[in-house]
Amino acid sequence: MRARLGLILRFVRRELQSGELTVLALALVIAVTAMSSVAFFSDRVEQGLASQATQLLAADLVVVGDAPLAPQFARAASGAGLATASSVSFPSMIFADGQTALANLKAVSDSYPLRGEVWLRLADGRPSHGALHPLPGSVWADARLMQRLGVAPGTMLAIGSTRLRLTAEIVREPDGAMDLYNFIPRLVINQRDLAATGLIQEGSRARWRLMAAGRADAVASVRQAWSGYLQRGTRIEDVEEARPEVRTALTRARRFLGLTAMLTVALAAAAVSLAVRRYLARHWQAVAVLRCLGQTSSEVLALFASLFVLLGLGAGTVGTLLGFALQSALARMTLSWLGAALPDPRGLMFLPGPLAALVLLAGLALPPLLGLRQVPPLAVLRTEAPATGLGAATSIMAVFVLLGLAAWQVGDAGLALWMLAGFAGFFGGVALLALALVSLTRALSGRGRIGWRLGVISLARRPWLAVIQISALSVGLMALLTLTVVRNDLIRSWQQSIPADAPNHFVINLQPAQRAPFAAAFAGVGRIAPELAPMVRGRLTAINDHAVTAGDYRSGEARRLVEREFNLSWRSTLPPGNVLTAGRWWRDAHPAAQFSVEAGVAEKLGIRVGDALTFDIGGTPYEALVTSLRAVAWDSFRANFFVLAPPGLLSDQPSSWITSFHLAPGDEAFVASLVRRFPNITVIDVSEILDEVRAMIDRLSRAIEVMFALALAAGVLVLWAALATTRDERLIDVALLRAIGASRRQVRLVVVSELLWLGTFAGLLAGGGAMALGTLAASKLFNLPPTLDVALLPLGVGAGIGVVLLAGWPLVRRVTRHAPVEVLREL
Amino acid sequence: MNTYDDKAVLSATALAKQVELHGESITILASASLTVARGESVAIVGASGSGKSTLLSLLAGLDIPSEGEVMLLGRPLSELDEDQRAALRRDRVGFVFQNFQLLAQLSALENVMLPLELAGRRDAVQVATQMLTRVGLAHRLKHYPRHLSGGEQQRVALARAFVIHPPLLFADEPTGNLDPVHGRQIIDLLFQLNAEEGTALVLVTHDNELAGRCDAIYRLVDGTLVGAGR
Repeated sequence: MRARLGLILRFVRRELQSGELTVLALALVIAVTAMSSVAFFSDRVEQGLASQATQLLAADLVVVGDAPLAPQFARAASGAGLATASSVSFPSMIFADGQTALANLKAVSDSYPLRGEVWLRLADGRPSHGALHPLPGSVWADARLMQRLGVAPGTMLAIGSTRLRLTAEIVREPDGAMDLYNFIPRLVINQRDLAATGLIQEGSRARWRLMAAGRADAVASVRQAWSGYLQRGTRIEDVEEARPEVRTALTRARRFLGLTAMLTVALAAAAVSLAVRRYLARHWQAVAVLRCLGQTSSEVLALFASLFVLLGLGAGTVGTLLGFALQSALARMTLSWLGAALPDPRGLMFLPGPLAALVLLAGLALPPLLGLRQVPPLAVLRTEAPATGLGAATSIMAVFVLLGLAAWQVGDAGLALWMLAGFAGFFGGVALLALALVSLTRALSGRGRIGWRLGVISLARRPWLAVIQISALSVGLMALLTLTVVRNDLIRSWQQSIPADAPNHFVINLQPAQRAPFAAAFAGVGRIAPELAPMVRGRLTAINDHAVTAGDYRSGEARRLVEREFNLSWRSTLPPGNVLTAGRWWRDAHPAAQFSVEAGVAEKLGIRVGDALTFDIGGTPYEALVTSLRAVAWDSFRANFFVLAPPGLLSDQPSSWITSFHLAPGDEAFVASLVRRFPNITVIDVSEILDEVRAMIDRLSRAIEVMFALALAAGVLVLWAALATTRDERLIDVALLRAIGASRRQVRLVVVSELLWLGTFAGLLAGGGAMALGTLAASKLFNLPPTLDVALLPLGVGAGIGVVLLAGWPLVRRVTRHAPVEVLREL
Repeated sequence: MNTYDDKAVLSATALAKQVELHGESITILASASLTVARGESVAIVGASGSGKSTLLSLLAGLDIPSEGEVMLLGRPLSELDEDQRAALRRDRVGFVFQNFQLLAQLSALENVMLPLELAGRRDAVQVATQMLTRVGLAHRLKHYPRHLSGGEQQRVALARAFVIHPPLLFADEPTGNLDPVHGRQIIDLLFQLNAEEGTALVLVTHDNELAGRCDAIYRLVDGTLVGAGR
């Protein structure tokens, strides 16, 4: 037994030293790196979201409304013995020492928070945590706000019409992330100071929350009672809904990363498969010799199986460590806005790497390995390799292995199946095109100079190998082209679709009486006063006298539209940037009651021209016919409305006014002067919001680019493996050509021409694919006019040729720099 | 160009070859001198590992000797670079190998055309077709090596070697992979072409019958070449 173990160890050491397994080991490492980095990353995100979820509400149960909540909610909770707390939150401008900044202000009651803890940094720098709330007269701000205002604890901040003292920095608050604009700096005050600010007025945009916590059965009964009180604009929040936008973005990113990792694994698997076959093809004679020397077929199998197990464990460990490092980088790049405290990945996540490498090897190497058992000792006397006849079994097993890995990767077997089908279809399509191109070269192979011709022939007469090489390479290249060139194109045209002087500041909550002084404030400093639009809020209650409820709609978006309040406005002319898509605009001097509806909303809610809509505005029903539908350019950054009416229909309703204007950088003092003069208005700097969103997408796409670089590396590895499988054959060909008198130039031409054709075809397919993807993304994702970037074709070809020549150059040098006999002797 | 002695197409003087392996110098060939006259056939025999293939490689300029000089068709190989040696082989030297060494992705015709095309000949198709007809393979022009028998493959190899009408042909165990019947057919064909073309032959072989048909026999013993008579 010890002797056998010794034999195995010596065998493994020799094989590893011989360098025969390099491609195999690299392919495994890349596959495991891609898989484990995504697994680590997802695990951290999942854990982070899950551990935050219980605290995200700062309570067991929360009801939230866009108007003050009816008192029955609080009565039901107290009646059942639950503790309650409340908060009101809204965006507002904050001042300090001449600086202004937009913050999301939250006013909390004394009992806040019911669950979770608030973490603070006090004025003296000491940390403090617990169920804390700011005392009346004091205010907490987060680091971003303090930085923007340039203040430290102890400073007085002007909030609306009152001034409060900044006493601490918020490090973390339980429900801090529940608001949509969580990237706006945060500020917490005591609810008893809210009235003094004067910021909450009729029609103000704010969220009122009532929190409850207590025994589980009481919570359940209160939840039931609350469900009965819900009206439009109020809803019960639970942990599942916590941070939906972040969850969606991260799920998307995770899926995208998972998909890319799967692509990498698929490519790496192809490389593993090619490398295993080459390795075993070079070793069957050794097997025959071992059999001749008295080893049983099981002993021989054990020898090679041990080698592969050790290789799998080694590559799995290295890949896992690389994956861990990559994941840390990904997390730093993408997750900084989630907050600093991301939990570390669980120790369990270190297992799948080596395991996956073993599974991959088992699926791809075991069948040809089992074929070794069939090598008879007699094979020593033959010169040709015996057929193993296990091709089909290998493919089926490999597909199952990939399926298993995919399911584990995306955590969804159905999706994995779909994904594999997609990959297979995609590879199939690319392979078909590659085959067509290769067949085309057959027609060419009768012409041209001998060097070129032999290169073409080498490609055309090993079509399947050529197809594998071209497909693998083009997929990797296409991924990279799409993620670099196409992405930049899209971002650039998106940026260009917004003119440089587009409005970047919105003003909301302007009161009717403030309109003239507001315009005067602009005129006073030589600015053109922006057009003001009135805004009233109302709920859609009926279409054609049929009561509208969320239950009427299946899509979540339509349900939300029905549940929330619409912003309605009135005006006499069609707003700039709007285009009528149906019906006609009102032109009379005193038009009758009617509505014009934004086309997208109309489609979602099934509204057509001629329908009668009823809106409930401040308790009064307004009914009128829809006479037109409008397409609205939302990215014009003007104030736009879903529903417009002619002047006169809604003007008796309490309204606030809204506008937008462009502010050049460095002109912030003007905003400060506006807000000082009209403390109730809110100025929203959208350029900052846009920048934040852009930065987030940028970080995510950079993370995905990293993964695509891995996919490309795997693609190159496949090419390398595929080149290696024909390397011996090529070396013999070339040595023979040299023996019968081909010059080095001619020989180089043969190899280079084959590589050039390979690179050209792969590049053409990659460029064409990226072009199609870019067009699709432009029209479907970004609503930009589809443009075909023809430059991608030559770019793809250039990149293809570059990558192929880089991968194939060592071979070219080898066959031309050494004497023919040296090359032949090494085989 | 044609400055070599009208009688000697090949002469080797005190050829030796050593290789370094793990810091140790191993002598593969100690000393070999021989002369081959135009149209002459010479056999080199010897035990396995005696250095026959190394000698052949050195004579053909496929490898570089550690010592000694080869005059191939009147030109000293040591004064030619890699590409000049290749050009010399391309235009004036034929090769036949033990395991045929046809290019698998080329048809029989294309394999025979190869040396002509490497030399830039435009009549390659016609000349190669004629040559294949001469070796009895007119019906196998479009066949790939994998579809040909061993004997047929070696005929293609012979056609490829003779298609340039070389003054000198090297053959390394040309019958080593063939059964006696096919082996004899190939030998007959080889000497028939040798006689028709006036090509000098240098054969490395184990086959005594083949060696016996040659004008001269050399034997390699422990890396030293000794003349063994005619």
